[in-house]
Amino acid sequence: MSTQEINDDRIALLQGTLDLLILKTLVLGPCHGQGVARQIQRQSEDVFLVDHGSLYVALQRLEDRKWIRAKWGVSDNNRKARFYSLTPKGREQLMEKTGEWRRLTRAMGLILDSSGGLQGEEA
Amino acid sequence: MFRRKRSAQDFAEEIKAHLAIEAEELKSEGLSEDRARWQARREFGNVRVAQERFYLRGRWVGLDRLMRDVRFGLRSLRQSPGFAATAILTLALGIGANTAVFSVMNAVLLRSLPVSDPDRLVYLRTSNPPRGTGTIDSNQTFSYSVYDVLRRQSGGLSPLIAYVPLSGSKVAVRYDAQPEEAEGDMVSGTFFSGLGVNLPLGRGFSQEDETNHSPIAVIGYNYWTRRFARSPDVIGKTLYVNGVPTTIVGIAAKGFEGLEPGGSTDFWIPLQSRRELNAWGNPPEDGKTYIADPKWWCLRMIARLAPGVSRTQALAQLQPIFQTSANVRMGGSPMEGEKPPVLSLADAKNFPGYDQTYGSPLRILMAMVGLVLLIALANVVMLLMARNAARQREFSVRQALGAGRGELLRQLLTESLILVSAGGALAWGFAEMATRLLGQWAQIESSLAPDKTVLLFTLGVLLIAALLFGLAPLRVALAGKAELALKTSAATSNANAGKSRTGKIIVALQMALCVVLLVGAGLLIRTLRNLENTPLGINVDGLVVFGVKPDLPSIPVGRAFYQNLIGKLRVLPGVESVSVSEERLGSGWSDNSDMQVDGRLPDVANGASRTVRSNVAGPDFFRTLGVPVLQGRDFADSDTASSPHVGIVNEQFAQRFLPNLNPLGHTIGTDDGSYTMTIIGVVKDHKYRSIDEEPIPMAWYEYAQIPMAGPMNVEMRVHGDPLAILPSARKTVQQIDPNLPLIRPMTQRAQFETTISYQILFARLAGFFGFLAVVLVATGLYGTLAYRVSMRTAEIGVRMAVGARREQVVWMILKDSLLLTAVGVALGIPLAMTVGHALASSLYGVKPLDAVTYLLAVVGVTVVALAATAVPAGRAASVDPMRALRTE
Repeated sequence: MSTQEINDDRIALLQGTLDLLILKTLVLGPCHGQGVARQIQRQSEDVFLVDHGSLYVALQRLEDRKWIRAKWGVSDNNRKARFYSLTPKGREQLMEKTGEWRRLTRAMGLILDSSGGLQGEEA
Repeated sequence: MFRRKRSAQDFAEEIKAHLAIEAEELKSEGLSEDRARWQARREFGNVRVAQERFYLRGRWVGLDRLMRDVRFGLRSLRQSPGFAATAILTLALGIGANTAVFSVMNAVLLRSLPVSDPDRLVYLRTSNPPRGTGTIDSNQTFSYSVYDVLRRQSGGLSPLIAYVPLSGSKVAVRYDAQPEEAEGDMVSGTFFSGLGVNLPLGRGFSQEDETNHSPIAVIGYNYWTRRFARSPDVIGKTLYVNGVPTTIVGIAAKGFEGLEPGGSTDFWIPLQSRRELNAWGNPPEDGKTYIADPKWWCLRMIARLAPGVSRTQALAQLQPIFQTSANVRMGGSPMEGEKPPVLSLADAKNFPGYDQTYGSPLRILMAMVGLVLLIALANVVMLLMARNAARQREFSVRQALGAGRGELLRQLLTESLILVSAGGALAWGFAEMATRLLGQWAQIESSLAPDKTVLLFTLGVLLIAALLFGLAPLRVALAGKAELALKTSAATSNANAGKSRTGKIIVALQMALCVVLLVGAGLLIRTLRNLENTPLGINVDGLVVFGVKPDLPSIPVGRAFYQNLIGKLRVLPGVESVSVSEERLGSGWSDNSDMQVDGRLPDVANGASRTVRSNVAGPDFFRTLGVPVLQGRDFADSDTASSPHVGIVNEQFAQRFLPNLNPLGHTIGTDDGSYTMTIIGVVKDHKYRSIDEEPIPMAWYEYAQIPMAGPMNVEMRVHGDPLAILPSARKTVQQIDPNLPLIRPMTQRAQFETTISYQILFARLAGFFGFLAVVLVATGLYGTLAYRVSMRTAEIGVRMAVGARREQVVWMILKDSLLLTAVGVALGIPLAMTVGHALASSLYGVKPLDAVTYLLAVVGVTVVALAATAVPAGRAASVDPMRALRTE
C-alpha cells in the first residue's frame, strides 16, 4: 500500500559499517536492538538510516561470531527485550575495525581533498 | 557451535519486543497509540524478509532447498496414497525381480573364483580319451599317469593341479562318535598354493604331503561353520574318512568352495593311494586304485599359466608330451585308426560347471525379468503422466505465481527420487529374500547373496528409473502455460492429456511384452507338465533308496556283507522287498561301455551306437523297482558266486544286438571278454539316468558274481510312507557296522526329480514372472483407462445428454482397449515366436510354436484387457449427464 519514502537527508549504510557501529554503541553498555538503532540514528544526527531488519540480522551475525552476547531482560519502560553486550573478543574487533576505518577515511579524505582534481580538468 | 541454535521463534519474539518499545517511545513523543504502532512498523521495514534472512543465515542453502523439496514431495505424494503405493510396489517388484535374477547370474556366471589372479587359471581338456579307457567325463578327466608325466614336464603350466572327489556323492566321515556324510576331494600338493587360496587357520598341502599320501585334511569354511561352529580347536583333531584317520591341519578361506562343478566341497585331503580312498569311491579294479590304473581317466586338472607364458606356448610345449603319455599303455602309440587325443586349455576364471547347467536358463530368465522391468517402468511412467496431467492446473498456477521451469523440474525430479528410493529399498529387500529362496530351490550351494556388483547394477537401474520418471512427465507439466490456468475449463485443459497418443503406444507395447512373457511361461510350464507326467517305467510309489559304503577288504567279505544286510532288511516290518544296485537310478550317472555279444563286439545296423549302459544289481531287483520282466526271470538269491554267471538286458539291448532272436540263453560280456554271462531275462525299457532321456541298450550284472565289491545303493519297497522305514533301516545298518551312515537317503521319486529340478525351478520362475507381468499390465491398463474415462466425464455427459445409450458408451470405451489389445497381440506374436525358438533347447515334449500356448497367451491378455476395462466402462455408463455437465 504505502511505499516507504526515504528522507533525502539520510544515507543508506555502507556495507560492513553496521557491524562497527553496533560494536561502538555497545561499548557504552548493554543495550537492546531498538536502543542500538535509536542511538546510531541519534548519534549520527539522523543522517544514517538503519534498516532494522538488517540490524537484527547483523546482531545475530555478531552473536554467532561471539563478538557480542545476548540475554533476555527488561527495558527501562518495563518491556521484555533482548540485551546485547560486548565480549572481550568484540572489544578487540572494535579496536581493529576502528583503526581500519580511520585509515580508510583518511585515505578517502586525502584523495577527495587534493587540489586541482576535478577543477583542473574542467579548466 | 556448542550452544543450541537460536530458534526463529526467539528471533520473532525479539522483533515483536522491538516494535513494542519503539511504539512506546513514539507514544511518549506524542503520537497516538495507533499512529505510533504504525510508525514503528513502518520504520522497521519488512519483518518477513528479516526473518527469512535470519532463517537462511549460516545454512547450506542447497541442502536446505532439497530438504524442502523432499518435504513438499512427500506431502504431495501423501495426498494420493493410492498412486504412491501402486508406483512404489510396481517398482519394487520390477526392480526386485531383476536384482534377484541378476544376483544369481552374477554369483553363478560372472563372479570369478575366489583365488588369486583367476585370469591365469586354465582347465585341461582333451578332445577324446584313448580307446579302451574308462572316464568320468570324456573331455575333462585324465589318468593319474598322464597327470604324473605332465606335472614333471610342464614348464608352461606351473603349477599343475589335480583333484578328484572321493565319491560321486558324499563320503562317510566321522568326527567324535557320530558317523555322517560329507563331500570330500583328493587333491595334489599344489592345490592351495597353486590356486592361491588363503588358509585363515593352519596350513595347506605340500608336495611332500602328496608324495607321502599324508593322512591330513583341510576343511572348508562352510563345513567348519556348519559342523564345528568355527571352533579353532579342530586343528589337530582327527577326521575319519571312510574309516581312515586324517588330521585336520587347516581351514580354507571363506568363499572358497572347491572346484567341483556346482558343488561345495567340505574337506580336502592329499592324493591317496589306498583301497578305502579310491577316486570317486570306486572299488579298486583288479586290486588297482586310480594311481596304478592308466585306463581309468578320472582326475580333473587345472593349472596356472607360468608368468610370461601364453596359452598357445604352454599348449605347444605340452601337446607331444601329453599325446605320448596318453597312450602309455600301448607303448606310446595309439591303436590303429585311432585319432590321438588333443589337449586344450579352457578358461577357469568362473565357478566350474555352472555355465553348462544354468547358463541358458539364467540368461532367459534375465531377459524375462528385463521385460517385466520394462512393463513396470512403463506403468509408473503412465501413472506419473496421468497424475501430472491431472495436476496441470496446479503447475499452471504455480508458473503463474512465478515458479520457474527449473523449480518445476526440480520438484518433479524430487518426487520421482522419493518414489524410486522407496521402491529401490523395498526391491533390495525382495531380492535378498528371493535369492535365498532361489538358492534353496536350485540347490546351488555357493553363496548367491547380492554383492557390490549387484548393488551397482541395482543403483544403475534406479538412476535410470529416477531420470525417466522425472523427465517423462515434465513435457506434460510444462505444456500447460501459465495463462492456461485461469482461462480454461476442466474439460478442455485435460482433453489433450487424456487422449495422449504416447499413453496408447505404451499400453500397446506393454500388451505385446505381456504376450511374449505369457508364451514363454506357457511353454516352460507345459515342458514341466510333460516332464512330471513322463512315465518312468518304474513304480516309484513306496520306493526308498540309500547308499552304504562299507569297508570291504575282500570280495567274499563284500558278498557276505550285502547278503547279510539284504536278509536283515527284508524282515523289517512293512518291507515288501529289498535289493541292491551299484549305480543309483535317477542320479544322472551311468556306466557306459561296449559289450561283447556271443563272443564278439556286435555289428550294429545303420551306424547306431554300440554303447551299452550297465549296472550291477542284486536279487529281486526288478520286482523291487516294479519294472516288468518281459521274458525269463529276475535275479534271485539262488544266483551266487558259484552258480553260472547270469545277466539281464532291456528291450533296447535285445532289439539292437539280437534282432529277431530270442535273447534268452545268449552270452554277453565285457568288451575285452574277461567276464561273460548268460542272458536270463529281458526287462521293459525304463528311465534310468534321468527323466528326460531316451532309452538306450542296458545290461545288468549280478552283484554276487562279479569280481568286485564296493559301495552299493539299497532299494527298498515298503508299505506306506517310504521314508518312515529309514530309522529302522539305519539301525539295522549300524548293527552290522556302527561306522556306516545312510548316504543320501530319499524316495526314488525324489531322486528322479532331482534330474529335472532345474527345469522345475525354471518353469516355476517363468510362470511367476509371467503372472507378475499380467498383474502389472492389468494394473497399468486399469489405471490408464480409469484415468482416461474420468477425463472424458464431461464428454460422456454431453454424449448421453444428446441421446447416446449406455451400451454405446460402454462399447466406446471397450472398443478403445480392444483395439489396443489387438495392436499389442499383433506386435507380441512375432516377438514371442523369436523367444520360443530361443527356448527350444529347454523345452520337452512341446514345440516352440505350440498353438495352444499362443492361444492361451492371447486369450489371457484379452481377458486382462477386458477385466481392466470393465470397471471404468461401467463407471462411464453410469455417468449422470446432468452432473457431468455441471462440473463445467
